[in-house]
Amino acid sequence: MNYPLKIDLHMHSNVSDGTDTPEEILENVKAAGIGAFALTDHYAAKGCAAIRKILKEGDPVFINGAEFSCRDEMGKYHILGYGFDPDSAPVAGLIGYGHSIRMKKVRARIERLKEEYGFSFPDADVEDLMSAENPGKPHIANLMVKYGYADSISGAMKEYLNKIRVASERIRPETAIDAILKSGGIPVLAHPFYGSGDELIVGEEMEERLERLVGFGLRGVEAFYSGFTDKLCRSMLLLAERFDLYVTAGSDYHGTNKMVALGDTGPERTEDPAGLTRFLNDVRK
Amino acid sequence: MEEKIIKLTGRIDSNNAAEVENSIMAELGDNKDVAVVLNASALEYISSAGLRVILRIKKNFSDIRITDVNSEVYEILDMTGFTEMMTVEKAYRVVSVEGCEEIGRGANGTIYRIDRDNVVKVYNNADALADIQHEREVARLALILGIPTAISYDVVRVGESYGSVFELLNARSFAKILSQEPERIDWCVDEYVKMLKKIHGTEVPAGKLPDMKETALSWAKFVKEYLPEEAGEKLVSLVEAVPHDDHMIHGDYHTKNLELQNDEVLLIDMDTLAVGHPIFELASMFNAFIGFSELDHEQIKHFQGFDFETAEKFWHKTLSQYLETTNERKIKEVEDKARIIGYTRLIRRSIRRKGLESEKGRAEIAFWKEKLIELLGNNDTLLFCANELELEAVTENLDEAQAFVDEHLEKADCPMKAKMQIGVAVEEIFVNIANYAYRPEKGKAKVRVEVSGDPVCVTITFVDHGVPYDPLAKEDPDVTLSADEREIGGLGIFMTKSLMDDVTYEYKDGQNILTLKKEI
Repeated sequence: MNYPLKIDLHMHSNVSDGTDTPEEILENVKAAGIGAFALTDHYAAKGCAAIRKILKEGDPVFINGAEFSCRDEMGKYHILGYGFDPDSAPVAGLIGYGHSIRMKKVRARIERLKEEYGFSFPDADVEDLMSAENPGKPHIANLMVKYGYADSISGAMKEYLNKIRVASERIRPETAIDAILKSGGIPVLAHPFYGSGDELIVGEEMEERLERLVGFGLRGVEAFYSGFTDKLCRSMLLLAERFDLYVTAGSDYHGTNKMVALGDTGPERTEDPAGLTRFLNDVRK
Repeated sequence: MEEKIIKLTGRIDSNNAAEVENSIMAELGDNKDVAVVLNASALEYISSAGLRVILRIKKNFSDIRITDVNSEVYEILDMTGFTEMMTVEKAYRVVSVEGCEEIGRGANGTIYRIDRDNVVKVYNNADALADIQHEREVARLALILGIPTAISYDVVRVGESYGSVFELLNARSFAKILSQEPERIDWCVDEYVKMLKKIHGTEVPAGKLPDMKETALSWAKFVKEYLPEEAGEKLVSLVEAVPHDDHMIHGDYHTKNLELQNDEVLLIDMDTLAVGHPIFELASMFNAFIGFSELDHEQIKHFQGFDFETAEKFWHKTLSQYLETTNERKIKEVEDKARIIGYTRLIRRSIRRKGLESEKGRAEIAFWKEKLIELLGNNDTLLFCANELELEAVTENLDEAQAFVDEHLEKADCPMKAKMQIGVAVEEIFVNIANYAYRPEKGKAKVRVEVSGDPVCVTITFVDHGVPYDPLAKEDPDVTLSADEREIGGLGIFMTKSLMDDVTYEYKDGQNILTLKKEI
């Protein structure tokens, strides 16, 4: 393999909250000149199977992936899993468990909308919703607009859905890390400085967080990320070296749902850090 | 390039980042050739989702800066490296100096005490941000290089101008100490010279500070046009002949710019920091204590708070201590060289302030010009060596030459016996030059004392322009003969040779150079 190869190891298809189908993902990855990629839907690996099926000789290197939102007393984390066997029990169990929690949350939200605001939807619509691959707040918002409870999806989110807090079970980071490892995968912390996406975790707090996750078996960090500055990237590379971790690069592409271009992994890589080269060598493709 | 100002308001986080980004992108339109200014005066908080919005704008519009950033947002931008990627301007706190004590006034601004622990330097010009930035940078550089100084920790708006705020706890300037406690003059001189030597002993990495020689050369070229041709040309050539020097000079080193804070002496007002030969520093010091007030002695009171007599005394003691000599000839020699640059600067300053258009101005310019022309006639270099004395080679000056050598030997803790032996040799050689080198005319002799090495070795060099004469070529006298029978002069050289470890002679560039060496 030639380095630096254009790579993007963090993207979402419409199996979770992206807008591209897995097939479109592959087309777009090729069009963007990306040489190695991973699809990382939230608690889902169906897209990976779909891509595997259509992958041809000479296509970019493909790595199975998924992104697992986790939580414990200390905070929220997004853990990426790479190169696992999607059919092996630990990861399949984790994905199933995540899905069931999501379903419970959707049901709870619909209940709460009824209790607090008197909104109700026809059973057929609710059933459709529940049988969807990956239902969530935007899908409920859609229904609210359809039945005239809100003028727009963003209005529905802001005025109602974001105000409702539903209690749910948590998946702890060690649970996810453990499952990924047991399925032959490599667990990597996504956008480390941004926590679960919209936080800013720096300095000692970041170090402590890494130390704890490494203690659970974390093997890598996403040091190259579309939202990172040079400084953030450089300091994450130093931490990766200190904790002897793999390094990955990802855009967090969501199709038209998020303004990130496929292949935009933030600061320019002129030379691949050792941790990234090792990752590409070691991960199961 | 066209500038587009976008106002950021409230909070930008994952709830509204997409919306904010869409509206900014719509506002900016398709023309990528604009400079984007994100005005953050009303921005309260920005999360990582908001940072990503800025990153993406930056990807589309490379010329982008953020202005009026509050301190919380600034901290986030700093931590995440945005301040390295683009210009981020802080919002400035507004400070009023009404009714505040004025504690200093310089060329670039006025310093006020705003409370017990803080002072603010208000810059004269409205667009002072670049100056403030420069002073901050050089002050930081000085601190890194080991010069104790106060570094401004904040920039504030003061009326229409800007100020930089320094912490200065209970500090008192040396000007104030000298005015209030004149009996502490010797202590002040000690500390003042200690700091001066520290500054001049500090080597500055190339390119970090302006070269004072360039500035002095521009003064000389300016003043040249107002001097008789010969004097003008000499002035420029004297400055041109000063070698480049990488050591620091403060550039405005007077007693208001040295502060005593508790027991620590601090240098302030760093915007004139430069590199160059110390003669340029001494020139500005001469002006501060003498030059500005030479015609009107009241000036120094307005400027420093003490009287002209104190200024003269302080300047003289400073120069003596700086050169480590009490030799008046040496002190005057260096002072004269400093005066050449000092007067040049004063003349230029006055002419540029339309001095030639007023009676008073013309008078002061004429006064300085006369002195400058006289000095140019008597000096062939601006360089000086503290350890070298040039004097008329006459026997009447022997005591002075010996005292000069003694001073340096004492500083080197030279043992009494060696000191006496060196004294005998110096006497022999000096008298020799006085008697024979220029006969029947008169001429000058230079005596240089160098102490170096381990074990400590003293080297004394005599230089004269007299007739070539190698005293060592002479055979050693026959000491078995009686004094009457011996050849005159030979014995002196013989004694010198036996008292010193090494005596060498060289005739070079029309000069007799005799070198004595002795381990002490």
